[in-house]
Amino acid sequence: MDDLKILAELRSDAPTPDADRLRRLRRRVTRRRRGLVVVPSLLVTAVAVVVAVVVLRQSPDVRPLPFVEAIPLNSETVLERAAEAVEKRPVAPEPRPDQWQYTKTLNVQPADGRTTTRESWLRYDGKQTAGWDIDGNFRVADVPPDPGDDDLSPQAYRKKLLKLPTDPDELIAHVAGDRHWIDKPREEGVPKVVEAPDQRAFRILTLYLKQQAVMPPKLEAAIFRALAKIPGVRIEQNVKDATGRTGLGLFRSAESPRRYIILDPGTYQVMADQMIWLQDEVRYGEVIFKKGSVFADVWLASGIVDRSGLAG
Amino acid sequence: MAADVSLADAELIQRSRRDPAAFAALFDRHAPALHRYVTRRLGDSLADDVVAETFLTAFRRRARYDVSHPEARPWLYGIAANLIGRHRRKEQRFFQALARTGVDEVAESYADRVEARVSASAAQRDLAGALAVLSPEDREVLLMIAWADLSYEEVALALGIPIGTVRSRLHRARKKTRAALGGVDPSALVVDAEADHG
Repeated sequence: MDDLKILAELRSDAPTPDADRLRRLRRRVTRRRRGLVVVPSLLVTAVAVVVAVVVLRQSPDVRPLPFVEAIPLNSETVLERAAEAVEKRPVAPEPRPDQWQYTKTLNVQPADGRTTTRESWLRYDGKQTAGWDIDGNFRVADVPPDPGDDDLSPQAYRKKLLKLPTDPDELIAHVAGDRHWIDKPREEGVPKVVEAPDQRAFRILTLYLKQQAVMPPKLEAAIFRALAKIPGVRIEQNVKDATGRTGLGLFRSAESPRRYIILDPGTYQVMADQMIWLQDEVRYGEVIFKKGSVFADVWLASGIVDRSGLAG
Repeated sequence: MAADVSLADAELIQRSRRDPAAFAALFDRHAPALHRYVTRRLGDSLADDVVAETFLTAFRRRARYDVSHPEARPWLYGIAANLIGRHRRKEQRFFQALARTGVDEVAESYADRVEARVSASAAQRDLAGALAVLSPEDREVLLMIAWADLSYEEVALALGIPIGTVRSRLHRARKKTRAALGGVDPSALVVDAEADHG
């Protein structure tokens, strides 16, 4: 009997992936480093990407999220209070290029509620990242220069943030028209989504808010005052993050899925970036995300550390 | 993208060093077959992860690609082989189970749920018994040739081993598969490990 012939027949019916699956996989591979463009129309992509990045330890507990007790607040008042609180913060010294930005996050997937805790280190100059791979080995990897990427190193964020105007109106105009966030990330084969300027201003200002390690206090205050001026921005109290902590839920688009940036009610730092489905989402005739599904990144810890592998 | 069709892989990789987007064309060219190959080895559920990691790794290493090789297939399958190798105990268990029970979990992972269970022939079960007891190195060479349609030269390139070693590994692997199909217990077979010279 010909062994190679029998071997050739074994699992010869293994399929080639369909176009849809390939497309998702392609995005997962060609996409730039961080999922900044998490707009609902791209959500399936974003979800795939988040799964792709690094899978670490699965934590078993998944909490259902009661969000109904959230209380709407006067967003202008709350944001002004936030601005006044943060502008008093002392200016943090600039990290050294060889220091690391440490982040520990909990990710929740909307399809099945699967949670993953991820610890990652990004060198201040952005030249290396570190973390645990799928087998639990600690790895430091070089980050090759990638001119098409929209994401920045902490160092580059600092440089960018220091140049921004601290007048709220000027700040909105600046971020709404910043070519960096309009043109990038440059992705082959992925339809380009261009948001309305107000939406871009909201997205980028909330993205900047996450750059806590390099945020100048005066700019942070200006960001809160600018957010108060963007049409449609709202705040709810008692919004729960995926670990059960409550905070101030900042959002702009009321429809489903609603994306909250959850702020710590004491420090006004970003605790979580979280989407919640207010109704079933149907695609291709199937419910892909049920009402109440949550897609979240929750910040469990972050800080500047001297070596990769150290927690903040 | 149409303009890229005629470009050799090496040219795409070279281009991607300046323009990372060019790498996407390499994905389009090789991902479908690679995905099928990984599915065939490890099942449907691991295929996406292994293929994604293969291309992400390849992307990171693109500066080190030797552009004197116009075809990148061996390079990509070599990267994939390492990643598949991380699951070698799992792969081995699948073959063992197939040999013992006739149920192939890998085939079931991609078969339509409404279809009847996939049942293997007696010959396939014998073959699986041999595949389960091959050394990972020998199995890699055999499956690269049988399932990925790589030539001896390409396998050598993919695994970074001399072509004589490819031949001897294949020879050793096939001694066991043939024996198993001939009714001999492949795990009891003593195969000359010093056949590495070709």
